[in-house]
Amino acid sequence: MTEKKEIGRVLVVGAGISGIKAALELAETGYKVLLADASPHIGGILAKLDHQFPTDHCGICRMLPIVGREYASQFCMRKSLYHDNIEILPFTEVTAVSGDAGKFSVELRKKPAYIDPAKCNGMGECIKVCPMEVEDGFNHELTKRKAVYQMVPHNLPNMLRIDRDACSGCTEQPCLEVCPNGAIDFTQEEQSETRQVHAIILAAGAKLWDENVEDAKSYAVSPDVVTALAFERLISPSGTYDGVIHRPSDGKAAKRIAWIQCMGSRNRRLGRDYCSSICCMFALKEAVLAKEKGGPDTETTIFYMDMRTFGKDHYRYFEKAVAKGVRLIRCRVQQVYADPDGSLQIRYFDPDSNEFKVETFDLTVLSTGQAPFAEQQRFAEILNLEVNEQKLLPTDELSKVRLRKPGVFLCGSFMGLTEISEAVSSGIAAAGEASKLLASLDVLKVNDEAELSNKSTNADTEAAKLEIVFSKGFTDKEGEQLDAALLTKALTAHHSVTKVHVLASLHSEAGLAAFAELVNRAEGNRLLIGAAKPFLYQTKLQKIAEQAGFHPSLVKVFDISAALGRKDSPDSFTARLIQETRAHIDRLRFTPALQFDSLPANQTALVVGGGIVGMYSALSLAERGAAVHLIDRAEKLGGYAGNQVSATLDGLKPISIAQDLAHRIADTGRITVHLGSEILSSGGQAGQYRTQIREQDGRILSLEHGAAILATGNQKSPTTAYHYDESDRVMTQTEFGKALRADDIDLSKMKEVVMIQCVDSRDKEAREYCSRICCMGALHNALLIKEKKPEVRVFVLYRDMMSYGPYERYYTEARRKGVIFVSYSLDNKPQVELKNRRPVVSFRDPILDAELEITADWLILATGIEKDEGNDKLAETFGVPLNQDGFFAEADSKWRPVEFHKSGCYAVGVANAPMTLREAIMQAEAAAQKASVFLSGKEIPLAREVSTVHDSLCIRCQQCIPVCPYNARSFDADSNRIVVNGAACQACGLCAATCRNGAAEVRGWNDKQMLAMIDAQFMDCRIPTTA
Amino acid sequence: MSNFTTISYKENELNKELAKVFAALLEKKTVDAVLAPCRQANGTIMQTLITDPAQTAAVDPFAPIAPVSSAKIASSLTAKPSGKKIALVMRPCEIRALIELVKLKQANLDDTLLIGIDCFGRFENQDFYSLREQGLTAESFIKAAQGGTTATKDQDIIEACATCEHPTAANADIRLCLIGADAGTFAVEAATGKGEKAFSDMGLSSSTAPGKRAEAVKSLTAARQEAFKQKMNEYREKINSFQALEENMAKCINCYNCRVACPVCYCKECVFVTDTFRHDSEQFVGWAQQKGSLKMPTDTVFYHLTRMTHIGNFCVGCGQCTSACPNDINLTMAFKAAAKVSQERFGYEAGRSVDEAQPLTVFHHDELVEVTGQMK
Repeated sequence: MTEKKEIGRVLVVGAGISGIKAALELAETGYKVLLADASPHIGGILAKLDHQFPTDHCGICRMLPIVGREYASQFCMRKSLYHDNIEILPFTEVTAVSGDAGKFSVELRKKPAYIDPAKCNGMGECIKVCPMEVEDGFNHELTKRKAVYQMVPHNLPNMLRIDRDACSGCTEQPCLEVCPNGAIDFTQEEQSETRQVHAIILAAGAKLWDENVEDAKSYAVSPDVVTALAFERLISPSGTYDGVIHRPSDGKAAKRIAWIQCMGSRNRRLGRDYCSSICCMFALKEAVLAKEKGGPDTETTIFYMDMRTFGKDHYRYFEKAVAKGVRLIRCRVQQVYADPDGSLQIRYFDPDSNEFKVETFDLTVLSTGQAPFAEQQRFAEILNLEVNEQKLLPTDELSKVRLRKPGVFLCGSFMGLTEISEAVSSGIAAAGEASKLLASLDVLKVNDEAELSNKSTNADTEAAKLEIVFSKGFTDKEGEQLDAALLTKALTAHHSVTKVHVLASLHSEAGLAAFAELVNRAEGNRLLIGAAKPFLYQTKLQKIAEQAGFHPSLVKVFDISAALGRKDSPDSFTARLIQETRAHIDRLRFTPALQFDSLPANQTALVVGGGIVGMYSALSLAERGAAVHLIDRAEKLGGYAGNQVSATLDGLKPISIAQDLAHRIADTGRITVHLGSEILSSGGQAGQYRTQIREQDGRILSLEHGAAILATGNQKSPTTAYHYDESDRVMTQTEFGKALRADDIDLSKMKEVVMIQCVDSRDKEAREYCSRICCMGALHNALLIKEKKPEVRVFVLYRDMMSYGPYERYYTEARRKGVIFVSYSLDNKPQVELKNRRPVVSFRDPILDAELEITADWLILATGIEKDEGNDKLAETFGVPLNQDGFFAEADSKWRPVEFHKSGCYAVGVANAPMTLREAIMQAEAAAQKASVFLSGKEIPLAREVSTVHDSLCIRCQQCIPVCPYNARSFDADSNRIVVNGAACQACGLCAATCRNGAAEVRGWNDKQMLAMIDAQFMDCRIPTTA
Repeated sequence: MSNFTTISYKENELNKELAKVFAALLEKKTVDAVLAPCRQANGTIMQTLITDPAQTAAVDPFAPIAPVSSAKIASSLTAKPSGKKIALVMRPCEIRALIELVKLKQANLDDTLLIGIDCFGRFENQDFYSLREQGLTAESFIKAAQGGTTATKDQDIIEACATCEHPTAANADIRLCLIGADAGTFAVEAATGKGEKAFSDMGLSSSTAPGKRAEAVKSLTAARQEAFKQKMNEYREKINSFQALEENMAKCINCYNCRVACPVCYCKECVFVTDTFRHDSEQFVGWAQQKGSLKMPTDTVFYHLTRMTHIGNFCVGCGQCTSACPNDINLTMAFKAAAKVSQERFGYEAGRSVDEAQPLTVFHHDELVEVTGQMK
């Protein structure tokens, strides 16, 4: 007998967006996750944000698993999260780590909340009676809260806690008295425990400066100067927004609002030679929202240095903001002072008029950026590492998520401030790295053990016999108690009801034990459970019922607090509950016992594009045990960067990286490389695609694969601007860099070099996006010239220097070495003439306020990144969309950055949008992780509740196809049928709502059930008033 | 520019002249078959699929009767390609219904030549036959209608037609024009490329539209729009509560004739005859117990409202539902009044264009905010 193997476990530190994503990803793969957060809630910074750009809505729930959704909660993630495989540890810090990759021992310290979550029903009676009031940190001191309080106002169930610093410990202790469940426990103490895990992911987020950071302090002259994060609370209904944006000092409507950028960042004097990356988009979004929420007469002004809109579609959002009237002024604000009337005066140097101006505002928002985070230093010590210059933990050269310590990975803003899409990609990538490690260990996945067989039942053919269980551990708002006798009498009158039980509690341990005992002797064939706010413990109830022999789809838990909340009804609470329950009875008695289908998964993957990112994707897939076909139309691996770019600004060597990857590919034996090959057609669905390719020798191959990763790169952007094609003295940045490094350029005669940024870019008539890497390219070449010959005058004519994040220090260094940066605007572009074959550049210097003319030895053009010419055909072949710029359009730019709606297809790197190599490699890792679910080589069990087609009723009108938001439906002309991809279907029900005769149906939500439910709710019921 | 040819006919020879046009289409092989209303041996008028040019002699497309909507027939003739070209002689409302069926993939216009007739309206079937006994012919009806009268001593055209806003056939390839035509003449209009082709096949000469046509179409449309507004308001005043609606539809016996007659009710099997509505005795008695009594059959108003939500957005207001009802329930005005509001809300008009997506089949981020409450 061999020892029973254990299930793989990973500790994720930090339950912000990236931590949650990493945890969900690992949980979906089948590993157990400990998700610890030092704060009392999940969601990190985003718990405070109601809106994110570019949609200006919230979309956190789009992170929830698509495959295996039955194991996770399916509701608003700002409320809460549940997954079978995730154990959430709020209020918990990691204090020590010992051991090595695959065998870590971690010390966890949990702070007390003084309220037992297993007993607390979240109704908040204690809050009403608490006499102590303090400022609410969640709302940045804009509102007050009690000493016992809800930590996040929109959480469900409302997790309560007592702030012992604020609590007076008053002798009456009214909270103890009023709590119906004895949940309050002042004796709780800090607890420590040691847990064993196989890998660790650090996602502890970042810290933002507050208004007291040195360079902002002098601006913070009144309560009406707030941080950007506090402004989110000013525009949130769970903050102070009630239709009006109130300024904090006197509650008056804020109509003139200013943002001041780069607070705490981009300040070398203070040792912060970095850009916080996200604040420009944050401010633009807030300014757009301020107009929407504050009304059309709200004036918004952003004072900025460079408007860093470098991400995908960011430039278009910027244009939208400007079109909506957001005013942008490029300057450093000199002073903010408070007027006696409560308004704020801002004094700034106006670049248009070249003079100082003073303007009046009601509210000023400081875009405070990334602060050094003590957690970085603490973890460096725990892990025996050293933080780097930016006070961040050191990572692998290529992979941003691989820490320089085996078995530990990091993601999200722990890598330095990241916007949501990068946080999500990095979360997936970190989970991917961890799961690769776990796969190499001798550990199991949860579903390795689980039996993937359907439970047979004859409950379908028998008459419905319902047992109903209620918990009564609560009262309604008026203190009305549940009348258990009346409830039982009224419901047992229903012909399908066998028995009604009322238990004291369902979510405490004692309650669960009583429930287990009860269901074990139940006689019914269907079980209905009415519990208060059962979101988090309903799965426990379901599991117990399943073990007792109930069929999983014949057990339903419903929230009885819905009946509590109907305040408009004249009926008693018990009467309302009876009516509500009747509806659930009628639904459940028509519910079929659903079995699950499964999808066969091929163990082969297809990667299109043999550049660095495609090679990296292929290797990552191969490391997971998949066989890979790597296809490129070129005759050599490496793509553009891997063949043309010898070095990047941040020290990567693309050509040698490409050579190294090519060797590794040759060594794996799992990757078949098809060079000079072309993709002809593709069909099938996730898990079982079939793609035809034509190889170099004309042979046609048919490849079967479970998933496909599109990693097409970029191509050289053609230009005719600034006499490029007329003079050999006009080159692109890449051509110049290559020549410079190859010593093909004669430096001896070089005196003046002019670089023009954003050529044919960020313009309505040209590429309407930022190519993200050109500013770095310019800095790279400018620094190289200065290194080789310091006396050369280098001019960089730019619109906004996009040296975001850690790249800022190269911008600083270039200025320090004498590179001259001159900004220009779209309406005043530089002019170039050729005189004696040499380019003469004239432009206006806004600081000198003078027109300059330079006769340049070389004119270097940053022409940006253009989508690959093959994208159009690939998009058509694989049935995936492109955006207006010809890059692939992902399922959701923030929440599903590497996926398509079409499951099993992914796009990575420049195929998605221009990005740096390290960012692209992170996406490659993320896509490999996402793809792995369709490459298991086993059957993928699908959810029970998926949409289906009754062919005999279907008239093939195909109305259900375009309405499906998940592209799960298609018409198969060969069989003349509508087919549903069960892995893509999320049971949203739009198809069923569209279908007029019930041919499209979501299993478990059929018309009969729904109509019975509606009938019961609207029927003029005769509810007895007494038992 | 449209092409018109004006054709004169002698008294009682309108159908003879029309037959010549249809026969020419067959003889010149422009089409392989013509679907048109024809007199049958027993005197009734029914849609007939003609392939033999000689048999076009029985056509009577302007007879003011439409026993079935030819949109349904067109659907069965074109849904699956037959490889044969068919000319479909249809009323404007029938073409509009056909356009909706095309969008629902229940018909295909690739191999068709749509011939739309100018329509002054139609009578209920029985009314038409009794009027014919009294000497009514297509020609006599046209003559009276051109003079502004559709009513006879005892009967008038149905309410759907009297309130119809579309007397001419949009989307037809060829139109047979009578509104504003001089006495004893009708015009053939080529309205599309396909129409032009057929025109030249038949060797028809080109000319401009009959002089009084535009004005006559305008005034007829205006009069009918006004009538619609009035009838709709009357209906709304009368049926102004759920109770009034329930009483109005109380006579319904669940015969489902209306959905069989409806040209855009296209399901293979209606949800109301599936298991969903096959209640067991337990259910009926349960309902009766809860309410104290239960009117049978059940699900009648529910049926009509369901049908309204299913097809209201592409209801063309043809009146076939009312014609089919054995209990004289005025379904047409119920549907037309509801359809008017819902189609207008979506900026949609049933039958206007094949290229216009049906409401609720396309998703716009910011639509219907007043209903969804979706606020940023």
